[in-house]
Amino acid sequence: MPLAAALRAHPELAGRPFAVASAAGPRAEILAVSPEAARSAVRPGTTVVHARAACAELHVQVTSPALERAARDALLDAALSTSPRAELAPAHTGLHAAEAAVFVDARGVEALFHSETGFASALGERAARLGLPGVVAVAASRGAARILARQLAFSGESLRVVPPGGDALALAPLSLDLLNPDDDLANALTRFGLHRVADLLRLPERTLTQRLGARIVPLLELARGHDPSPPPPAETTTRFEEAQELEFPVHRLEPLLFVLNGMLSRLLERLSCRSLALGELELELGFQSGGCDARRIGLAAPTLDPRLALRLIALSLESKPPGDAPAHVRLATPGAPLRGDQLDFFRSPGPSPAVLDQTLAELAALCGTERVGAPAVADDHHPDAYEVAAFRPPHAPAAATPSSIERAPSSIAAGRHLALRALRPPVHAQVDAPGDQPRRVRSPLANGEVIHCAGPWRTTGRWWSEDERYAFDHYDVQTGDGWVFRLRKDHVARCWSIDAVYD
Amino acid sequence: MLSPPHPPQPHPRIQERVQDLLQMTGSSVQLGGGPGLPEQRHPTGLGPLDALLEGGFPRGRLSEIAGPASCGRTSLTHALLAHTTASGELACVVDRADTFDPGSARDRGVDLARVLWARPPGVPEALRCAEHVLRAGGFALVLIDLASLGETPRVSPAVWPRMRKLVAATSAACIALTHQRLIGSFADLALELGQARPCFEAGPAWLESLEGHVALVRNRQGQDGRSIPVRWRAHDERAA
Repeated sequence: MPLAAALRAHPELAGRPFAVASAAGPRAEILAVSPEAARSAVRPGTTVVHARAACAELHVQVTSPALERAARDALLDAALSTSPRAELAPAHTGLHAAEAAVFVDARGVEALFHSETGFASALGERAARLGLPGVVAVAASRGAARILARQLAFSGESLRVVPPGGDALALAPLSLDLLNPDDDLANALTRFGLHRVADLLRLPERTLTQRLGARIVPLLELARGHDPSPPPPAETTTRFEEAQELEFPVHRLEPLLFVLNGMLSRLLERLSCRSLALGELELELGFQSGGCDARRIGLAAPTLDPRLALRLIALSLESKPPGDAPAHVRLATPGAPLRGDQLDFFRSPGPSPAVLDQTLAELAALCGTERVGAPAVADDHHPDAYEVAAFRPPHAPAAATPSSIERAPSSIAAGRHLALRALRPPVHAQVDAPGDQPRRVRSPLANGEVIHCAGPWRTTGRWWSEDERYAFDHYDVQTGDGWVFRLRKDHVARCWSIDAVYD
Repeated sequence: MLSPPHPPQPHPRIQERVQDLLQMTGSSVQLGGGPGLPEQRHPTGLGPLDALLEGGFPRGRLSEIAGPASCGRTSLTHALLAHTTASGELACVVDRADTFDPGSARDRGVDLARVLWARPPGVPEALRCAEHVLRAGGFALVLIDLASLGETPRVSPAVWPRMRKLVAATSAACIALTHQRLIGSFADLALELGQARPCFEAGPAWLESLEGHVALVRNRQGQDGRSIPVRWRAHDERAA
């Protein structure tokens, strides 16, 4: 698993002599080696300096618990894509400490994969697609399946399916080391000349327990293919997370985005394996000093497009840079189903839901998530209040209503409600207003003598809050330069501004 | 010099059968060169203005509405939005200056749930937003509001031919709002609104209406050079 986890994050190392060490530095222990490094006589258990002496081109990567955790989760995702009941196997110590395994409840898979062999083949392919090539064994119990899978890893085969009732027969010729006994028990079994599972099962259980103690009983059960463990539980969460420790703190945005791009790609592979898409993103940047920057980045709609997600992340990091150079990155998302596209003869004309979602996500990446949506009138008396709702066009066609547009006399086109253009934020103005009647206006927009003025109309609100209370007097004003606008006198801030233009 | 081979003529009976088949299915596909389909128009809902525009703004074409501040551009576009959404179609407003007022639009009769409102930070982003929406399809009206109050935005001249080609592949009426005419000959239709005159009622003083003119200064598919007066009332006559 350390090797597979590192290769998953650094695919450029595939095909090269490559090893994973327990720590940085020349005295660190080599934990796992690639086949190319093994051919150059690099062995696990040696030190980095010895390994480099054996192979000058050796690339050494420090083991990363974050990458291994992500790789195990990816393995579980591959398993859950074939069956709803899957569970990661607990980690072992000793000889099989580097092993990673997942148990999958394969009952009923024939309906989907035609046979257990087809299921095993599909599971192996999906795991390989996620950068985790491995072996698959199908048996009646977890224990037997795990032992058979260990044997496959040494034999070079990729899958094995044991027929029902054939566990004991399949396990008989295997080495007792595959059952992972502790060192004392392994030495005792060797002293008694017991090397294979069949050798152990030939002896009476009573004699074995008298000689070796109660610790032999679980091994005997395993050898017989008996496993009291319950079937794997059904999956309850759809949360996907990738994490990576950086070799050194990253001070610039571009290298950080490069790392994030790789993490996004791995996340998307796992999501598409489970027929899900990116939902809201949770980004956590850890610093060497111990602090962290955690932020949520919303998406207008679930998407499988990495460019969009990366652009939103870049926008977030540019608008609010992290306080320090990150040394550790974590990216997580709750998987969300992509919106289906179903033909509907009665649906109003418009883009298909999938295309609309993609377009909304593109617009959000350009404008910002909160600046794209359907406009809405806020339930608020404040003149600047408005809302932006999610854009979900109604499916029902517009109700037949009497036209609100009156047919004007033929020579004049007339409409109701002169429209306003809101100014956000209002433009500050200097106003000469003797007796609270504006006479002259100076501002970046309108300038000049006031020709016509109507008002004031007072609006007040939120009087219960010291910070939010407001009191405005609005005037409709025309100045000599042709502008017709709404002038506001703010009694709380004691200033004048133009907050809308009639157009 | 060898003359090119004479193209084979279809058998007359085959031609007859094809013609019968097309008539039976009611297909709008013509055999040979026949009259083309009439260009589809997107009406504004204002009779005299639709008459000036010969039915409305052309679909699948780029149009422009130019005019100074307080000339009535926004009122015209709100009328367009109201008519579009009342027909059950979708509209998109790419609001570069962030001046779209939902309350004013709702009062005008716009069904806000059918309007996609995007507020990009700059002109290049606004044009890219419009491109994304046009490519998505399904929007009957796409308004690109570049009419920043008092200033003319800088737009590369290479943008408009590309935009025109993109719009031609859709059935949307794409209209750019500008302070001064920007698109030039790449707009199939251009309206210019002159400085409007506000009418203030006396006793008590209130803004009653805005009166101006709309001139059709460019019309690729028809006549131009005409103008009509327009009046936008600030309040409902019944309320008055």
